[in-house]
Amino acid sequence: MGANLQVEQLHKRYGDVAALDGVSLTIHGGEFFTLLGPSGCGKTTLLRCIAGFLRPDDGRILCDGERLDRFPAHKRDIGMVFQNYAIFPHLTVFENVAYGLRARRVPPADLRKRALEALQLVQMDALGDRRPDQLSGGQQQRVALARAMAIRPRFLLMDEPLSNLDAKLRVEMRTEIRRLQRELGITTIYVTHDQEEALAISERLAVMSGGRVEQVGFPWDVYQAPRSAFVAQFIGTSNALTGTLAPGDGEWSSVLIGGWTLRARRAGGLTGAVLAVFRPEALSLALDRRDVPDATIGEAEVVSREFLGAVLRYRLRLPGGALIHLDEHKPNAARLTPEGARVRFAVRAEDVMLFPLEEIS
Amino acid sequence: MRERADVWTGVSWIAFAILAVLLILPLGRLLWASILDGGGGFTLVHYQKFLAYPYYSRTIVHSFLVSSLVTLSALVVAVPVAFLLARVHLPGKAILTSLAILPLVSPPFIGAYSWILLFGRAGYVTTLFQSIGVSIPTVYGMHGIVLALSLNLYPFVLLMVTGALRTLDQSLEEAAQSLGSSPWRVFWTVTVPVTLPSILGGALLVFLTAFAEFGAPMIIGEGYQVLPTIVYSLFVNEMGGNPAMASTAATVLVACTTGILLVQYWAVGRRRYAMSQLRPIPPVRLGPVMQWLCAGYAYLLVGLSLIPAVVVAVTSFFESRGPVLYPNFSVGNYREVLFNVPRAIANSFVLSTFSTLLDVLLGTLIAYLVVRRRSASTAALDSCVMVPYAIPGTVIGVAFIVAFNKPPLVLTGTFLILLLAYFIRRLPYSVRAGSAILHQIDPAVEEASISLGVSPLKSFAKITARLMLPGIVSGGILTWVQTITEISATIFLYFGAWSTITVVIYRQVSSSNFGSAAAASTLLLVAVFIPVLLINWVVGERAVAAV
Repeated sequence: MGANLQVEQLHKRYGDVAALDGVSLTIHGGEFFTLLGPSGCGKTTLLRCIAGFLRPDDGRILCDGERLDRFPAHKRDIGMVFQNYAIFPHLTVFENVAYGLRARRVPPADLRKRALEALQLVQMDALGDRRPDQLSGGQQQRVALARAMAIRPRFLLMDEPLSNLDAKLRVEMRTEIRRLQRELGITTIYVTHDQEEALAISERLAVMSGGRVEQVGFPWDVYQAPRSAFVAQFIGTSNALTGTLAPGDGEWSSVLIGGWTLRARRAGGLTGAVLAVFRPEALSLALDRRDVPDATIGEAEVVSREFLGAVLRYRLRLPGGALIHLDEHKPNAARLTPEGARVRFAVRAEDVMLFPLEEIS
Repeated sequence: MRERADVWTGVSWIAFAILAVLLILPLGRLLWASILDGGGGFTLVHYQKFLAYPYYSRTIVHSFLVSSLVTLSALVVAVPVAFLLARVHLPGKAILTSLAILPLVSPPFIGAYSWILLFGRAGYVTTLFQSIGVSIPTVYGMHGIVLALSLNLYPFVLLMVTGALRTLDQSLEEAAQSLGSSPWRVFWTVTVPVTLPSILGGALLVFLTAFAEFGAPMIIGEGYQVLPTIVYSLFVNEMGGNPAMASTAATVLVACTTGILLVQYWAVGRRRYAMSQLRPIPPVRLGPVMQWLCAGYAYLLVGLSLIPAVVVAVTSFFESRGPVLYPNFSVGNYREVLFNVPRAIANSFVLSTFSTLLDVLLGTLIAYLVVRRRSASTAALDSCVMVPYAIPGTVIGVAFIVAFNKPPLVLTGTFLILLLAYFIRRLPYSVRAGSAILHQIDPAVEEASISLGVSPLKSFAKITARLMLPGIVSGGILTWVQTITEISATIFLYFGAWSTITVVIYRQVSSSNFGSAAAASTLLLVAVFIPVLLINWVVGERAVAAV
């Protein structure tokens, strides 16, 4: 089983900017953990602190209870995969993979065996004699992976490793990375700004913003029960409307948005101005039938349509002027609602999340 | 991880110490010498004198005039050729570009000397015309300096402009065309403005180099004094020299070159248009007549600038008696040079090799500090290390004499003073060459090595330094070439046994021993051309653009 990692109250400032503002995380042995957030949120800074390339101003990093932050980078026994792969351009594929083993003075026979094993894992053992400039982007990625794993590190750190690949290869590689990681049981920390990738690949993930951790959890929790307006809007597509919470304590909360009353989940402790967030798939075109229980019915004008394959996404303008998205699944080409048409739609109350308004800045 | 005082801190302290001793101290002493009266008090009388007497003050005018004319003619000849090389199919373009670099590395005083061989008082062309009863004006004076220097320095403009044109992306001109501009309009409204910073950059480089040039005006100027030559004359005149006035002239010279450099930063600094280039613009195919006309023009210019080398080489095999040369084949000149001054030749090779090694070593380390360890102190180091770039060799020469001829550091008359002068003069170029290549290496490659368990210092040696090697080697060769052809500081600092091949050439030309001067010049040119052509083949012309 892989090593576990604890980050405690990590702080790192660049001048006036707090890149890390008291980050604490616990990553379990053998876990695939993702740091997700927009650029500048601190995720790469955190990764580089763990790798030892940056020195935190304050806080501790523990590996199986031992102070990792007291070791220099080259003594931490951490495998790292870089965004641009950082393949040594003057060494062959085999020598790239053997590099870390040579530094550990692994005896020659063993070295060859371990390097080839690592190359086999990523199906690159046939290309050991190639020079890096003869490899495609995907192949370089595999070599980088093999090189990091050959040293049997305590952790694998990955800094946006797929961002330079094309869309199809990216999906292929992420499945591959996940398979390998599971096979080896190595604790992996993965950095990305791509929320879809993060949801697909992670066991657990931390959403970061402004140097802080907004939420840690399983992918579906983060998607379905975001703890802040930021998380709700960063993950997936969201509709966000500002309104006023109506007093009352029924089964649902009621939010007044313009002249429209939207039913929402119960929001404990909220009063006054709120932000109502709901996803495009929470809406459906209500064709006069009130077939969605506890739903709010609204009226809007179709502004535009986007055909996304499995989904047809409408942009609707509410009477107050706000724009929202509505997804129609399995769209029927024969019964499309034209642009400019007035439609009625339903929003399921349980899918409407409320957040205090000041959170969104 | 604790932030330790590691090797790099040590390197940066050593670098600062070297700069303090070899730069700040000499320049400080120089300034000091110019503002001190006989009794040790402060005075501006030397500056007043310098500006009041036309004998001194006109050299400022001369320097600006010569540099302006050189810059102008370099622009006129080189800009069209640059456009042709970058945008038109020309036969033999690769050879043409290689040859165009050679003038840049051949010392201007050899150029000046060969123009004297052709158009001097007893020049081949002059006597040819005399034999048919026509007397043509001689080449001495201002126009000789301008001729020699423009044909030496135009490749600066050529390299910078072709470089800029080659990094233009095709889409830029296509965008202008699709917006409704005719090709002619695209050329004037897009191509030229985008290239302008490079043209300006090349022009200012030519101006600065011409301004600091000592050898060519000394040899061909004949009484037409510019700032670097007046510094020398004041230093060595019959009265035993005038250190205070020489220091004053040197300070004025530094003030001028610093001013020019500041103008350069201000004018060119931020105005580079770097494009992330996807498709370079393919060269145009012209009709046969136009193509040969264009090629003819390009070959004419490059050919013209290589005349000095050819003239010197041919002359070296003539029989000679003083200034009189007989067109019979003879190796007598070489025999004379090799037997009389073997020591000077050896000195040149040893001195330039050692100072180059020092430059490369320290230059690479400083480049690494400046690029990869950014901090307030490395930024300061970066600025300090660039200072010698603004200091003409003549000034280094005077300043070193003033600073190192009395305790605590007496170096005058030693091997060391030449070595250190060469070293400090070329240090900025080594740092530049090193940082240029470092910018092309992804820092993550070194981090990858560290994360695989190799210590930072070993990672630098095994990965970063290894990847920098091609750039370091070609930069080193160029440093070597520039050092072995150095005359302006050498002429002040050499002493007795520590003469160099450039000093030998200068002395032989001055005493009209044209034959052995030609043989020594040819040896020097061969020593310089071969490595330059080699790296041009191996690395391509990008390396040479760093000169």
